Amino acid sequence: MTDTSGPVVIRDRAGAVPAPPVARVIRGLSDRAIAWLFIAPTILLLLAINVFPLIWTIRLSFTNYRANKPNVPLRWLGLENYTSILADPDVWQAMQATAHFVIWTILLEVLFGFGLALLIDKKFRGHSFWTTVILLPMMLSPAVVGTFWTFLFQPQIGLFNYVVAFLTGIDPSSFQMIGDVPLAPWAIVLVDTWMWTPYVMLICLAGLRSIPNYIYEAAEVDRASKWRQFWSITLPMVLPFLMLAVLFRGIENFKMFDMVNLLTSGGPGSTTELASITLKREAFEKWRTGYSSAFAIILFVTVFGAANIYVKALNKVKQR
Amino acid sequence: MAEVLLDNVTRRFGGIAAVRELSLHIGDGEFVVLLGPTGAGKTTTLRLVAGLERADAGRILIGGHDVTRLEPAARDVAFVFQQYSLYPHLSVFDNLAFPLRSPARRLPEPEVRERVTRTAELLRISSKLDSKATRLSGGEMQRVAIGRALVRQPAIFLMDEPLSSLDAKLRAELRIELKRIHEVLGATILYVTHDQIEAMTMANRIGVLREGELVQIGSAQHIYEEPSNLYVATRLGSPPINLLPAGVLPVPDAPAGTRTIGVRSEHLRIGKANGAAVQGVVTRIEHLGDQNHLHLTVADHRLVTLIEAHADLAVGERVDLALARPLCFDAAGVRLGGS
Repeated sequence: MTDTSGPVVIRDRAGAVPAPPVARVIRGLSDRAIAWLFIAPTILLLLAINVFPLIWTIRLSFTNYRANKPNVPLRWLGLENYTSILADPDVWQAMQATAHFVIWTILLEVLFGFGLALLIDKKFRGHSFWTTVILLPMMLSPAVVGTFWTFLFQPQIGLFNYVVAFLTGIDPSSFQMIGDVPLAPWAIVLVDTWMWTPYVMLICLAGLRSIPNYIYEAAEVDRASKWRQFWSITLPMVLPFLMLAVLFRGIENFKMFDMVNLLTSGGPGSTTELASITLKREAFEKWRTGYSSAFAIILFVTVFGAANIYVKALNKVKQR
Repeated sequence: MAEVLLDNVTRRFGGIAAVRELSLHIGDGEFVVLLGPTGAGKTTTLRLVAGLERADAGRILIGGHDVTRLEPAARDVAFVFQQYSLYPHLSVFDNLAFPLRSPARRLPEPEVRERVTRTAELLRISSKLDSKATRLSGGEMQRVAIGRALVRQPAIFLMDEPLSSLDAKLRAELRIELKRIHEVLGATILYVTHDQIEAMTMANRIGVLREGELVQIGSAQHIYEEPSNLYVATRLGSPPINLLPAGVLPVPDAPAGTRTIGVRSEHLRIGKANGAAVQGVVTRIEHLGDQNHLHLTVADHRLVTLIEAHADLAVGERVDLALARPLCFDAAGVRLGGS
């Protein structure tokens, strides 16, 4: 009975609506073909805006190409760009500045972020309100943060200098956070920590909330002190989350550009000139496109390699 | 091991009493099972003894000492949770050793090793000592959790439905194992379950809870044969006790005021239709293998009873029914004529 009624209904519909039978066209394709059809736009887009530029950059990195002089005949340099970058003391200074920035921001953000997460996890009165307040800096645009911290750091009228003066009695105009050579590297660390500690806190909080309460109760009955509970339950179980936060912040800060560029533009001198700022100078101020392409590839390989090693370690921790 | 006494203990959650004026004495080396449905206050009672909940009123004594205001760590109790509460990043050995390595205990490491090994043998998990806790099967995890309680030799073991998340076969195995451990160690155990088979097979005494109150406590046989009211009667027995209004089936010498008759399989005499005063109709026969469930209809009331597997009965057949010493309850559900 159903054998005959099924096709009849379809034929009726086809008769009533004389639209082109799209369904029939698609019916001719295999599942695999339909799958390809669906992902093709994404793949094409990825090829066009990610893979092709990457390959093109690799190509350029072996040449003397300058984007402001496109008519100069292209000369192949081999590895010359790479060798001169690795021998350039300015590059190494930028790498040092970047390392200083990455290491200190991660350290401080993990310390404060984890600490705040532990406090917020206590679920005191109004903890959700304070969570929102703490998360605010993270929601701002890095450009906004960079710009308004230049005002906060302003020695005469800046709130930061005023508060420091109020708390310590130091003359507020006696130091400039973004003008003094010894202070500037710490100014960018401070602002980044202020902005991204909430992010680390959020991830740690997710980790803390994933620990079931009965494990703590079991430990309490087993006479484990709060300290021992922290070391043998809380920390190991939050560690994968913490490592994930470190990974994200590490990659982000290794290629930090916007906030620092707006805050200090790499100054004073080149004390806060991070790798990506050097890169931008080489590429769009000195127009050494081939050279900066090589630098970009070096940075890419560095962060890619480091992240891969790190993810392997992370998986090991997760599997414990 | 020690005796434990709960004296008029009350615990409220937001105005609702989860445990109400509960008094319970657990003798040294006794295995007491608290039985009741979800929300009866079984787990809260256990947590009160452990110190994971604080009593709003009443006293709790362990080994003669008032522990009502003490922290869990100071009470010398061991707790087995319903979930496998293992420390996931530690090995089985370290999980078992965890309570022994507490600074409050300070056992020398060779003794820790010895005790852990002995406990692992008792629970038959010796081969798993080096495995990560997360690599174990459900049954092994729960054994480790039980083992973590056993290494301690505490005043009392508190077990909160430790077998409920295991499959039937494992549950039967661990039930026997727990009973064996109880006999070997002479442990005092307070055990919570809603499974009547666990209660019947393991308990020295069963306490039946309803809405935070202890309704009746006694040996499994006593609770089964002499329930103090309807609620307790319906807790035990499989198939569940049949409740009929008085008068459906004639009860010889029923006490005055009987309103409800409780009929278990052993109270019912079934025979081939032979002109008895009351007859029932067979509506369904469920085959269990060794026995059958027989569904009957008597004057619009349904009965389920056990009969032997090869009883010569068919669906639709009429049978003679008679009662032998059933349980009689009054209008309020209180048992009448009990001993």
